[in-house]
Amino acid sequence: MSPLETRLSLIVRLQCEQDELAWREFVSQYEKFLQQIVRRQGVPEALVPDAVQQILMAITKSLESWKDDGKEGSFRRWMHTVARHVVVRFMTRERKQTTGAGGSDPLLALQTIESPPDKHLLQQYEHELIVWAAEQVRHDFLSTSWTAFWATTIEHRPVEEVAKDLQVSPGSIYMSRSRIMASIRKKIQEVME
Amino acid sequence: MAHPALCNPDLLRRSLICGTRRTSGNTAIDGQPLTSQEEESLAEHLNQCESCRDQLELMAADAEQWTSIRRTLLKESSSGHPRLPAGPSNLSTHSGADDHDLLETGLLKPSDFIVEFLQPSDHADSIGRLGSIEIRQFIGQGAHGVVLKGYQPELNRLVAVKVLAPHLASVVAARKRFAREARATAAIVHPNVMPILAVDSSGPLPFLVMPCVDCESLQDRLDREGGLSLEDLLRISIQVARGLAAAHAQGLVHRDVKPANILLERGVERVMLTDFGLARTVDDATLTRSGLIAGTPHYMSPEQARGDVVDARSDLFSLGSVLYCMVTGRPPFRAETTFGILRRVTDEEPRPLRELRSEMPQWLETIVTRLLRKSSAERFDSADQLASILEDCLAHLQQPATSPLPPGLVPLQARSWTSLLSGSLLAGFALLAMTLVSGVYLISKYAAGPASSDTDTAGQKSASKEPVQTTAKDPEPVAIDDHNKAAIAEDLRLDVEIEAILHETNSEFDALQEAMEADSFDSNSPTSAPELQNP
Repeated sequence: MSPLETRLSLIVRLQCEQDELAWREFVSQYEKFLQQIVRRQGVPEALVPDAVQQILMAITKSLESWKDDGKEGSFRRWMHTVARHVVVRFMTRERKQTTGAGGSDPLLALQTIESPPDKHLLQQYEHELIVWAAEQVRHDFLSTSWTAFWATTIEHRPVEEVAKDLQVSPGSIYMSRSRIMASIRKKIQEVME
Repeated sequence: MAHPALCNPDLLRRSLICGTRRTSGNTAIDGQPLTSQEEESLAEHLNQCESCRDQLELMAADAEQWTSIRRTLLKESSSGHPRLPAGPSNLSTHSGADDHDLLETGLLKPSDFIVEFLQPSDHADSIGRLGSIEIRQFIGQGAHGVVLKGYQPELNRLVAVKVLAPHLASVVAARKRFAREARATAAIVHPNVMPILAVDSSGPLPFLVMPCVDCESLQDRLDREGGLSLEDLLRISIQVARGLAAAHAQGLVHRDVKPANILLERGVERVMLTDFGLARTVDDATLTRSGLIAGTPHYMSPEQARGDVVDARSDLFSLGSVLYCMVTGRPPFRAETTFGILRRVTDEEPRPLRELRSEMPQWLETIVTRLLRKSSAERFDSADQLASILEDCLAHLQQPATSPLPPGLVPLQARSWTSLLSGSLLAGFALLAMTLVSGVYLISKYAAGPASSDTDTAGQKSASKEPVQTTAKDPEPVAIDDHNKAAIAEDLRLDVEIEAILHETNSEFDALQEAMEADSFDSNSPTSAPELQNP
């Protein structure tokens, strides 16, 4: 079944127009995120589209067990939960396959250690999500704003100093970094809720 | 001065709407983005109005989200193949033109920088060679340099290699200190200190070789879990205090005790202090360049913040800040700017611990408050003393019925019978100690730490502690050269084995030792009790 057909069959099931819209929005956003996470699990470039499709299909399949409880946003929540679940399962599988292959993702190598894998994978998932969200919104901002955000928020450099370096007012840094933070948060929320 | 009349929450809220460039946004719901005129006046207002700044930040995301997003992006930017550009900070001391170019092009990545100094390798699974070490992969990048995972074929072992950052390596004083401090650190042989197996300061970039240990930093753990349980934070701080005591016995002040420099192996079973003396190296280099203090000053002592001479008790203050952070999930002194933090460190009292986590016992707050005293004379005498007190506290936590709190921390009416008990245990222990001289010698290498001989006066410690004391006083500063590196490495492996054996079989021994140390604190209590007394 092609991804398109998969989606269509799901849409047929989704009676509610809003749910259908949610699903379509979700796929268009989430697919990019999946590409990133799949790459970063060490899947070779040529196999990335396949893996993404596999995951999307697994998600659609799991979505079939969704039952509307009549609550607001029920489908969205279910969709996000299922997606996270499927991705973490995918990560678990990848990890098992790549262990010992060498040259793996250093972040993973750092995080595979000792603790229960599920917890780490969930963290890894959240890490990926935040990075992805930041990447997405980054292009919405001028590079000066992004640089100011990065220097003051991420690296904790004093606002005054950065303002001087970038020749902007400290006030505008306060403003733009909060704006960037708000966008990142919103982006994450779209997928995490 | 800000004009309160100009504070406009609606303007703040709207300032978060992205109305420009490619964002579609929900402008219909959220309202209109600011006009450029509004933007200008708000920026002007934010220059002065701290309360609006705070409010704006909270509207953007809550404190937890700020932290988790910051941590994630920081981690990402220092990983092997970051998706996002690192910021301009490591370039802040360079010329402006450089900065600008690098900012535009997505900046230096560790992977670019590593190519500069690695030699090509014949091995397929190596990314390059550093001396005899095959470099396998990146572990991370910090302010001081890069950490790599390497393999030493002739010893058939994995190692972590820490390379001094190039901008520091070009400063002669920084290099010299790096090498000297590294050698000194290598002389601290203690299970709670990350050992240094080798030092190389001959190449273009000096590097240290350390064992490759599966661990995470306390900072990572705190980022992930927030405040820790009482038991975990006691276990961690006991071991850090032990590691510090070992360093202090060698005349070294760590000067950069912070969660990022505390490594946790297998949960909290083994804790290692790392990054000895590098803080000093960094200070030197940045001082020559820009006159600024390096790094995040959240855990600095007041005397450090003022630029005064520091001694071992400065590390106790920092450990106090770390303890505070383990309880509350954040450092005690926080402010927008480096200067602001330093001012708080020197002038202000942190919020009492139990206001933030009321379930924590009073005695913990008493200990932390004392560690965070502005005057070093009012803190504990030594890291060793602190470790013993914390050990008693942990024992008490686990077995309140049989293990008393250290006398200074316990309400008066609860004290009499418990001290009797520890006295009788002690008599038994004196006998046991004599029959187990070799055991005592071994345990002293990892558990007792260096006795704070300058602060102990005759008679303050019980006779039965003497075997421990004498061996612990012994270590002479050892100059580490190529010949005895292997010996040290061997020694370390031995230590680990000894530790494992002792853990397995000598829990009784440990209990007795704790009882013994409880007693040594007891005998100090006339001076410390008034300080620690419950209100």
